[in-house]
Amino acid sequence: MRRGLLLAGLGAAALALPPLLSGRELTVFVLLGLAAMVTVGLSLLMGYAGQVSLGQASFYAIGAYTAGLLAVHGAPTMLGLLAAPVVAAGFAAAVGVPLLRLRGHYLAFATLAMQLILLGVLSQAEWAGGAIGLQGIPYLSIGGLELTEDLGYAYLTVAALALTLLVAHHIIGSRAGRGLRALATSETAAAASGVPVGRYRLAVFALSAAFAGLAGGIYAFFLGYVSPGSFPILLSIGYLVMAVVGGLGTLSGAVVGAAAVTLLVDLLNTVGTQPGMPSYAPSVLSYAVYSVLLVLVVLFLPRGIVPALRDLPPRLLSRGDRA
Amino acid sequence: MSDLLQYVLTGLGVGCAYALVGSGLVAIYRVTRVVNFAQGGLAVLGAMSASTLLAAGLPHGVAELLAVGLAAGAGLLVGLVAIGKPGTSPRSSLVITLGLAVFGYAVAVLLWGDQPRSFPGLPGAVSLAGARVQAHYLLVVAVTVPVFAGLALFFSRTYLGKGLSACASNPYAARIVGINVTRMGLLAFTIGGALGGLAGVLVTPVQQVTFDSDVALVVNGFAAAVLGGLERPGLALAGGLLLGVGQTVVAGYGGAAYQIEVALVLMLAVMIWRSARRPLVEEPAV
Repeated sequence: MRRGLLLAGLGAAALALPPLLSGRELTVFVLLGLAAMVTVGLSLLMGYAGQVSLGQASFYAIGAYTAGLLAVHGAPTMLGLLAAPVVAAGFAAAVGVPLLRLRGHYLAFATLAMQLILLGVLSQAEWAGGAIGLQGIPYLSIGGLELTEDLGYAYLTVAALALTLLVAHHIIGSRAGRGLRALATSETAAAASGVPVGRYRLAVFALSAAFAGLAGGIYAFFLGYVSPGSFPILLSIGYLVMAVVGGLGTLSGAVVGAAAVTLLVDLLNTVGTQPGMPSYAPSVLSYAVYSVLLVLVVLFLPRGIVPALRDLPPRLLSRGDRA
Repeated sequence: MSDLLQYVLTGLGVGCAYALVGSGLVAIYRVTRVVNFAQGGLAVLGAMSASTLLAAGLPHGVAELLAVGLAAGAGLLVGLVAIGKPGTSPRSSLVITLGLAVFGYAVAVLLWGDQPRSFPGLPGAVSLAGARVQAHYLLVVAVTVPVFAGLALFFSRTYLGKGLSACASNPYAARIVGINVTRMGLLAFTIGGALGGLAGVLVTPVQQVTFDSDVALVVNGFAAAVLGGLERPGLALAGGLLLGVGQTVVAGYGGAAYQIEVALVLMLAVMIWRSARRPLVEEPAV
């Protein structure tokens, strides 16, 4: 009951906030929402299926390029947005068949290699604009309504994030979700109890890619420009930081982690671009935030912020009862 | 024909650097089961410090040795953070070293800026059977071979090296006979740091280094190490040389744009092939 109220409150806040934000804050809001979508998928993948992915930004890139390429070649923009998660998931399913035979650090390096290969191919591909990228992506239009204002994208992002959370929530609660949780604890035991381990792992991988692909599609229409340089390895690492900081395997943790990291990086970016600061200050500060947050959380809050906070109130309450 | 020979010789030089990074990964992984993602960053640190020390007027040799020492120290620090806290699982340690690699970016940009750096190595070129090769590549090979020989002797003949190997083969039994496994892990991180720093110092005169060169270095090093299943430094040497030669030959015959992809596809193929033959041991759930 309290959770429902909290959710309704947060939803209302997410809907009420965008009109109050200025131009730059609105951009941060949209990027935060998109990062949260990717992080929800990654958190599901790492927390429930126990897989480390260091290449999550490649699915984001595939979504962005799918939407961008279709739109640039004159396809309806809505089709591009719908195709983005489908193509990303299809790519993940195809790549996942060989890759998901690997575990642990092998998979981590394999997904990293996947992203490096993708970036290499994209920056050589003339049909994708090469290293310069795709320019002149039109605005998204939904049923004749063209989204030309940032405000429209803010609401689109909120809707897409809500959809992502809803899908993820239902999967966690389903029979398949319980199978996944069993899989993360012990693959052997899960397989022995009849969980189709290989198929489930692949399905979560594809689903996390679909979330990232959808976010990438929105990103392409929002900025109107994508290039291989928009999707560095550091972006993938950033998603990992968000998922770990918020708490792996919790949906609210993914959103909290994405919000905390994005806002902190933005704040330090503002500090770093103040007059008098050296030109390298913003990048140094953002690298430092990623790394210090990640190391501190892994060492001292291994389950992440949200699970740690969730454990906190009962203890405080019980202390209150005794007094 | 002399073209091919030139590519192969150059490739051996490049491959030695990958092999050094890879053997650092192996040295750490055998003892601690942690893949040190910051290994590439340590190479960059070694390279950058060498360039600063040389610019400060230190003679060649001294500056490079000091830089390798610095990288070893940094390796020890990485180890302290990654495995110093009791009960850190290897998966957490991997994520921590990833964080430290990003921290390395901050340090490198702060100290050395974001422009590529280099310093002069062994000047001149040598003709071998009609192929002209920069002399520095031969120096790289000439340094790497004794280092690997020394590593092999260290692991098999010295008391400390045998202790490391004991931790690698059975940490529990090693603890029972009185070996401090954590201290051995830190020693492994130090050795790994020195090997990474050496790779950076050796390769910089022929390939410029920027603060984010570490991803390419650590991925290539991992690719080299994977050939030996992350357990055997000798196979990491073979893997590194194979990768280096493969890349330069592909680049030489017109595929320069696809150099790194060749290494990555090869690494993926080897990993998947190995996992199909012999299921990779499942990490113990913690």
